[in-house]
Amino acid sequence: MSELLHISCAPHDRSSLSTKAVMRDVLLALLPTTVLGVWAHGWYSALIILLSITAAVLTEYAFDRVTKRNNTVTDGSAILTGLLLALTLPASVPVYIPVLGAVFAILVVKCLFGGLGHNFMNPALAGRSFLLISFGTAMTGYTLDGVSAATPLAELANGKTIDMLALAMGNTSGVIGSSALGLIAGGVYLLLARGITWEIPTATIGSTALFLMIFGGHGIDPAYLLPQLLGGGLLMAAFFMATDPVTCPSTTKGQLLYGCVTGVLIGLFRVKGASADSTTYAVLLANMFSNIIDELFIPLPFAFRIPKDFKKAIPKPVIILLVITLVAGAALSGVYVMTADRIAENQERANQAAFLEVLPGAVSFDSGDELKAAVEASQGAYGSVTVTNALAGLDGQGNVVGYAVAVRNAQSFDGGLALVVGIQADGTVNGISFTELHETAGMGMKCGEPDFMNQFVGVNAAKLTLNKGGASAGADTIDSVNGASVTSGSVVDAVNAALDFFAANLK
Amino acid sequence: MGERTFRGGVHPEEMKELSCEKPLIPYTPQGDLVFLTSQHIGKPATPVVKKGDRVLAGQLIAEASGFVSANIASSVSGTVKAVELRPTAAGGMGQAIVITSDGENTLAEGVGVKTDYHKLSNQEILDKVKAAGIVGMGGAGFPTHVKLTVKEPEKINYIIANGAECEPYITCDDQLMRSCAGEIVEGLEIILRLFPKAVGVIGIEKNKPQAIAAMQAACAGHEKISVMPLKTKYPQGGERSLISVIAGKHLKLGMLPADAGCVVDNVATIRAIYRAVCFNEPLMERTVTVSGDSVKDTGNFFVKIGTSAAELVQAVGGWKEGMEPKKVLFGGPMMGVALSSLDVPICKNNNAITALSYDTVGEETITACLRCGRCNRVCPLGLSPQLMQVAAMRKDYERYEHRLYGLECIACGCCTYTCPAKRPLMQLFKVTKAEIMAAKKK
Repeated sequence: MSELLHISCAPHDRSSLSTKAVMRDVLLALLPTTVLGVWAHGWYSALIILLSITAAVLTEYAFDRVTKRNNTVTDGSAILTGLLLALTLPASVPVYIPVLGAVFAILVVKCLFGGLGHNFMNPALAGRSFLLISFGTAMTGYTLDGVSAATPLAELANGKTIDMLALAMGNTSGVIGSSALGLIAGGVYLLLARGITWEIPTATIGSTALFLMIFGGHGIDPAYLLPQLLGGGLLMAAFFMATDPVTCPSTTKGQLLYGCVTGVLIGLFRVKGASADSTTYAVLLANMFSNIIDELFIPLPFAFRIPKDFKKAIPKPVIILLVITLVAGAALSGVYVMTADRIAENQERANQAAFLEVLPGAVSFDSGDELKAAVEASQGAYGSVTVTNALAGLDGQGNVVGYAVAVRNAQSFDGGLALVVGIQADGTVNGISFTELHETAGMGMKCGEPDFMNQFVGVNAAKLTLNKGGASAGADTIDSVNGASVTSGSVVDAVNAALDFFAANLK
Repeated sequence: MGERTFRGGVHPEEMKELSCEKPLIPYTPQGDLVFLTSQHIGKPATPVVKKGDRVLAGQLIAEASGFVSANIASSVSGTVKAVELRPTAAGGMGQAIVITSDGENTLAEGVGVKTDYHKLSNQEILDKVKAAGIVGMGGAGFPTHVKLTVKEPEKINYIIANGAECEPYITCDDQLMRSCAGEIVEGLEIILRLFPKAVGVIGIEKNKPQAIAAMQAACAGHEKISVMPLKTKYPQGGERSLISVIAGKHLKLGMLPADAGCVVDNVATIRAIYRAVCFNEPLMERTVTVSGDSVKDTGNFFVKIGTSAAELVQAVGGWKEGMEPKKVLFGGPMMGVALSSLDVPICKNNNAITALSYDTVGEETITACLRCGRCNRVCPLGLSPQLMQVAAMRKDYERYEHRLYGLECIACGCCTYTCPAKRPLMQLFKVTKAEIMAAKKK
């Protein structure tokens, strides 16, 4: 024997599985979604994907070089982050968006925290949230065939029916990687190839579905539930984002709990949240809990577990938790159902008071069929603002003294606001009154104070503009509340919608 | 499915086809024989011969130096050449008795005399096993008489004959079960004598259908002995795995199989017990598989204890051209010991020489842990290697020992085998265990 023998500690054999193979499997699983995404959104989306991947890989390579580390690009994880990020971008973003997102994801979230295996949250989603905060308009400008359009979930929120076939193929307004069919195919492939385990996808989708059934307000109506489950990035999150091994717990029970946390957060953000990006933030938040969850569920070695015969008598804490959650959920929804009438009654009374406030001369209000039809016809005409009611105010003799138009703006600083605008027959604003306002105390809430509200009294204009600073420029401008330009803006938008509605239907 | 098995485990490539059809043939040693005095767990034996002494085959040459120790007998007749330090498989030097064979194989007095074990008392059976110097021949080398000396023999429910042979490459137990099934069953009957309430179960992995058939045929007529085919999975042949499959009990650190009502012995050990009790034969030879991709041919041999490993490699034709070994192992690739030189003798517990032309461990690059949890899923003890490695690297031994039960690790290597990042988990755990143990002694 010429050469020396190698010695090492056992085991001397290793499985053929490598980090590279793990990453390759996930990339393969994303292939159908990517192909369908490019098919649905055109070649420009392919450019976005390419840019994102290139930027991710180059960033990691440069970081390794600058910090004199071993080249880690070959493990394929940077490619994966780049692709995942691109698939969560709208198809028509400017070219700098994927580049900036990928650089942030790789450099800040991954490399600075120690590289692969050490990032504490999903780099792709962190990159996406960075973009959402920095470039809100571009990032929420969803298009289909180059034309801006509402996403399926936004349409669903407005009571429309969703074309399920388009949703399955990803041929809808939304992010590039939104094909439900492609995502499910990829998820099933990963499950079969053992790239992921069943716990996280099942728990995430299951708990989202459960939450939406209880709190979504539509029960188990499939026309509501199916689009909710197949759209809005839930599948992407359940199969590809939440399952990122680096940022999810590694124990079975931990993964189940983590999936539930993700699912409940998604449900909560969808039902109650102001932002359309429920899944991004839900997964990032759940990431924060991964280590704590792992710590909670360190499995006992088999030898320390209670033998099966005794086990039956002791319910698992998981079951207890589940029962508590279910009971609490049922109780909450029960309370809601029982008090729904009372709430509606109170609301009605508040509305009546608001109507009287803005049209003090009226003694009764009348809502004719014509008005109802006009309200119905105006749905969707004012962007985030909807006209919810319009009434004619009558005096004691039955003469019209003015009109009260109730409007709701879904976009405000915090969850939307609603108000009633009183308009005299000649179009002069008589006053406004809030029926729903829950903005930041001391800032947005100041919109509910006379200083702000009185600006609307006596204005007669087709459209009001918001003045964000300096002296008031004219009668048809409204001075913003200092530090609450978003809330002020949405109030002005709502009033403008009411004025528009008045001009179109009542003048 | 429906196969009896344990939780976790891995499926390494079996590689048994290389040698599984090679019948056991006796190998006659050519050179000197080297008998290390430490071929077992426990204290090394004390030599009772000196340079120049003439010894006969089966004659005691080193005697047990305590309860947990074992006698050593010469496997040939000849002259003691030296009592000196010789290299061991582990890489160090150990005291050894070197004997030059005279080629006659003259048996010592009394060796080979047939005895009817039915006429022996339990204590006489135990004494014979002890005198024969029998140790666990599956790899551990734990003195068998210690295992069989149980305080309360009535509490033993299972005598498990371990024929799982879950290590890749190794086929000598397979061949032994095919050719000596009757002797193994007789050996099991002898052990059952010692434990009145026990039944004998022979556990064999399903990838050895001929061995299963042979053992089943040999079991016919023996009411208390049965064969249990087991799922082919590593480490099926581990003591704890077998006990969890057959007795449904999990052992903790420090627990002996007897605490779970089990005695586990390798089939080769059981055959040695039969030979010792019925033929008064000390442990002189054992079965060895020579395999791997570096050897010209493969083979299964009855090898005299003390034969040099280099000789056995020559017995199968030496190295293949252009496939010289990078690694030679005593044992299989999962738990074997890597040799630094072939100049080491076969000991009582060496069941195989595996010569590999590649070194998977040296060729792989270690990358960062992905926290994928694959290691947690394959651990046959239900430990969390992923968390253990973090604690071990931070030297957080408190957490390692008490929160993660790290000392329970049996070093089966499943986690290390399966890790996609190729992290040396088991190596880390071994070092950590040693450090914790050392700190405890202080």
